[in-house]
Amino acid sequence: MALKKKARASVSEELNITSMMDMFTIILVFLLKSYSTQDISVAASSDLELPLSTSAKEPQLAVNLIVTKTQIVVDGVPVLDLTMVPDEENPGMELISVPEDEKKGQMITRLYDRLLEKAEQAKALGEASGSKEHEFKGRILLQCDKTLPFSVIREAMYTAGQAQFGEFKFVVYKTSG
Amino acid sequence: MAGGKGRRSLSTGEELNLIPIMNLVSILIPFLLMAAQFVHLAVIDSTLPAIGPPPETPPEEDDDPPLQLSLVLTGKGITVAGADAVLNPEGAEGAAPAAPVEGEEDQPTIPCKDPNCATPDSYDYEELTRLLGLIKDEYPDDENVIMVPESRIPYEVIVKTMDASREDKSASGEDGKARTLFPFVVIAGGAK
Repeated sequence: MALKKKARASVSEELNITSMMDMFTIILVFLLKSYSTQDISVAASSDLELPLSTSAKEPQLAVNLIVTKTQIVVDGVPVLDLTMVPDEENPGMELISVPEDEKKGQMITRLYDRLLEKAEQAKALGEASGSKEHEFKGRILLQCDKTLPFSVIREAMYTAGQAQFGEFKFVVYKTSG
Repeated sequence: MAGGKGRRSLSTGEELNLIPIMNLVSILIPFLLMAAQFVHLAVIDSTLPAIGPPPETPPEEDDDPPLQLSLVLTGKGITVAGADAVLNPEGAEGAAPAAPVEGEEDQPTIPCKDPNCATPDSYDYEELTRLLGLIKDEYPDDENVIMVPESRIPYEVIVKTMDASREDKSASGEDGKARTLFPFVVIAGGAK
């Protein structure tokens, strides 16, 4: 009897993985809870901080227009850089704005060309697929930094409107609850 | 003999072989970590104001004129305006809305909490929600609101104003949901 006990101890002194399993189970449950299959993603950076909102609408896939503090990006491709201009009403302060030579009136010309290209692509794709679901509806996702002045957003929106995008979706962080 | 041995090892409690489960879990965890989302995104819908001639519908012979609620965001506060005059739901609104005097610097309907409106939080969103609730009582079918922000208003203020005008969390209906105020926002770029 004593001999048997000794033999067992030497053969199977295995690592006790039960506690590790416990931990993994908890992690698994937590990760499953935060699992999500949202279509869009936000490349978080210090230049792009989305505002918080209580809106609960789910985002859908569409053309992504990102306006950060320093540049305008369409579907991951940078289009143009923004500049800082002195604020006339608040001396000493600066406002973010679109460079004057990039604009024609309110329209940002380079952004317009880029978005028009995107609109044509989306239309061709919608026609090729033939289904109502993929039809071009002029939907555009706008991700804007929360400190941007409205003038920049207005110009971006106006330009998108001219390029046949009329259905704006402002992407925001959902507040918990 | 062999059968007896096997039975005995079962009864003494041979440990469950957890290695395959461990393998499975350690594959699942990286996968779920990739798909996990710790910030949740949402969108706010908005459309451009219609460009071009208004739709060819004959004006309805209606007793109620359309509200055309608009919120003007300025560096001083939020002005709530109706079709042709600044609304003042607390006063005698329907009776005689005094026409704003030209050239006179109007005070906003809802001034900022601090005089300079320095931070996005200094706008009084709770008051706006309360006021819009009163307007909604008068015009229960209206759901549109036009936002007219000044050029220098930060985007965050616009989003917070949209939140305040969308629903009233404090006044919940019978179904326990927040009361819907004016969920359809049109952003106009009027004010300079």
